[in-house]
Amino acid sequence: MWVWFSKLGSPKWFYELSGKWLPWLIAAMVIFMTIGLVWGLVFLPPDYQQGFTSRILIVHVAVAGTSLAFFPLMLVAGIITLVWRMKLADMVAKHAAILGAWFSFITLATGSLWGSVMWGTWWEWTDSRLVSMLFQLFLLLGVISLRSALEDSETAAKACALLSIVGCINVVIIKYSVEWWNTLHQVASPVSLDPSSPNGPQFWIATLIMIVAVYLFLSVSLILSTRNEILERERRSQWVQDLVLKN
Amino acid sequence: MAEKQTTTSAAFIATLKRDLLIAFKKKNDIVNPFMFFIIVVSLFPIGISPESDRLTEIAAGVIWISVLLASMLSMDNLYRSDYEDGSLEQLLLSPHPLFFLVLAKNISHWLVSGLPVVLVSPILAYMLALPTEAYGTLVLSLLLGTPIMSLVGSIAVALTVGLGSRGLILAVITLPMSVPVLIFGTLAVQSTLNSQSPVGYLSLMLVMLSVSVSLAPLASAAALKISVN
Repeated sequence: MWVWFSKLGSPKWFYELSGKWLPWLIAAMVIFMTIGLVWGLVFLPPDYQQGFTSRILIVHVAVAGTSLAFFPLMLVAGIITLVWRMKLADMVAKHAAILGAWFSFITLATGSLWGSVMWGTWWEWTDSRLVSMLFQLFLLLGVISLRSALEDSETAAKACALLSIVGCINVVIIKYSVEWWNTLHQVASPVSLDPSSPNGPQFWIATLIMIVAVYLFLSVSLILSTRNEILERERRSQWVQDLVLKN
Repeated sequence: MAEKQTTTSAAFIATLKRDLLIAFKKKNDIVNPFMFFIIVVSLFPIGISPESDRLTEIAAGVIWISVLLASMLSMDNLYRSDYEDGSLEQLLLSPHPLFFLVLAKNISHWLVSGLPVVLVSPILAYMLALPTEAYGTLVLSLLLGTPIMSLVGSIAVALTVGLGSRGLILAVITLPMSVPVLIFGTLAVQSTLNSQSPVGYLSLMLVMLSVSVSLAPLASAAALKISVN
């Protein structure tokens, strides 16, 4: 276990291993993404209440669910960075913050698109999920801007790790306090996002496939950007130079 | 600071005294954020509406947001001068738990920047036409909320202390984190205005305060160790 764990910290080992995984992950992602998107956006019957607009939810729910995974991921990476000083964890955390910000943004954008049809407005402060996602985006942007402000990469790694841990705790508090704030102003959102109740099973199976596809997409993009980061940070080491010469 | 066998509580009090003394010697650092607070509050009626009905509605939110912005300004010099003259390194090298020394610095910072704002808030509440019965809740919520902001903000200040020009990055990191305090602070005042009991919200703020007193100095201490190599 510990041998495996300390091996994982070595960028070279990760680079080689992820190189073997990548083709399979990409293949799985393409398959799931194609099935999910074609089924969800072309064949899925219109919802009895929402019409064809419900198809947006296929993408929206998958992206939203995935974007909740970023702060826990950064929390784990942050603890590993602070406790074991693992360089790899910081490289993953760096790109998780950037990807997380994009995912949060896409969640807000697809949610607004859906809301513009269903609620008649692009933005609704009384929906607690919308508001807490906005603040998750702000917190992630804070982590990104802290990293870009700190020049020394080791200080930046530890500082961002600490901020991610604090941010993860904060995101949970913000989520619940925003919910509290809303339930007092408005009883419930006009339409429930719960896919199982008003919609048939084909809807949530399509959503489930899409969730798997988006998680695979997340893994592939995270691995690809981490591999780039490894090559950049380890550019002075022998194995990277060998690799470059070979290709 | 070179006494040999000091107890931790003596070190705590010494740090507190030293910081208060420095704060009173450099009055600009206290007065400017305070003036900023009062000026921002007075700009709202001019920008939005001078009608007292509308002001009553926004009064609590205006005061709370102005407090947040002012605390961003005053927070900036929490560790900076100590970092520049090297006394922060002395603090890190001290044999006493950094937790208590950081807590002492946070308390002294709150005494000179948070407390004046709390004390002056009834006057500003009057100017914003807040009904008299809500004054007590407003003061209590600020009394509970401003130390939370000092404690949580201190983490971000400690993380950015080594940066030359940071002004805005501090706000970008800290302001989103102050959402829960803002929500419960304004909800407490609103519920008093609707003649409901604000005790629930105030107790939640008390919970947040006790959690941040026990955890935030730990994070600040870790952040200081990261920033000062």
